[in-house]
Amino acid sequence: MRQSRRQTLIIFLGFCLAVAATFFFGYRAGRTARHVRWQNEPIQPWMSVPFIAHIHHTRADLLFQAIRVPPNPRDRRPIRDIARAEKLPASELIRDLQNAVANANQPGTEAVPPSGRAP
Amino acid sequence: MSEQALAALERYGSSALFAVVAIAAIGVPFPVTLLLIVTGSLVAQGVMDVWAAIAIAVVGSVAGDQIGYAVGRWGGKALAAKFSGMLGNAERITQLDAKAKRWGGAGVFFSRWLVAPLGPWINFASGAADYSWPRFTLWDVVGESFGAGLYICLGLVFSDRVQEIGAIFGDLTWAILGVLAAAFLGWRLFSMRSQDV
Repeated sequence: MRQSRRQTLIIFLGFCLAVAATFFFGYRAGRTARHVRWQNEPIQPWMSVPFIAHIHHTRADLLFQAIRVPPNPRDRRPIRDIARAEKLPASELIRDLQNAVANANQPGTEAVPPSGRAP
Repeated sequence: MSEQALAALERYGSSALFAVVAIAAIGVPFPVTLLLIVTGSLVAQGVMDVWAAIAIAVVGSVAGDQIGYAVGRWGGKALAAKFSGMLGNAERITQLDAKAKRWGGAGVFFSRWLVAPLGPWINFASGAADYSWPRFTLWDVVGESFGAGLYICLGLVFSDRVQEIGAIFGDLTWAILGVLAAAFLGWRLFSMRSQDV
């Protein structure tokens, strides 16, 4: 009898946890979906320079210049690997790229289509 | 580990896509949904071809799923016998086997793309329950093709919003798993109450 009550309690607690998880993840998905068009994608160390140029609608050559790497649209090395090759912390390169993206996207600067290539 | 998988995809393209989805299908927790969405973005950037990307993702995932199934089929029975005390008596195990066979097709299909974290477990359980290999393979290929097509196309359409789209689908997956767990536990509570009355 006592064991059955304990089993019921465990299942009930599991049920409450499952309901709470449903609401938590559902709410978080809804909140992200609402802000999807207003947020800028953060730059991550796994991204390559052409990939960053694409998601920020800017030119890859500008970003290569910002991190002092010869522009090459075929260079798909992640920022992490470029940082390692240049013997710099990845955070420093990310900061330089963020500044370059901010400068490139200032009003009056020519917009680039999502291909990330120069028009 | 997630970051390394995404970096490998960026750097090595198709070969990394194949390796990562196959390893993830065996049970290593790589963010496959985000990986497929990023693949879609790479397709939009002209780095990969859309049909080649879908085909590679399907072949890699199915290869990993088959390994999981084989491990369950040839090692699952011994494991189930060892841990049979946790699962219940022999009758209970027979009931679980029957349920796995009855719901096998739907379970395999939906765990390929809708509740992907369950995928490796379903592969193992299908093998251990002696679920028909041709049927498993059929539902596996159909589910993986649907999932790869869906997420790669989403990445193609929202190619500049990959992280947000990945986060939304990641959260939705866990919300759906929460609904399924709540429904199952609610049903257990209800049937326990009915037995008491």
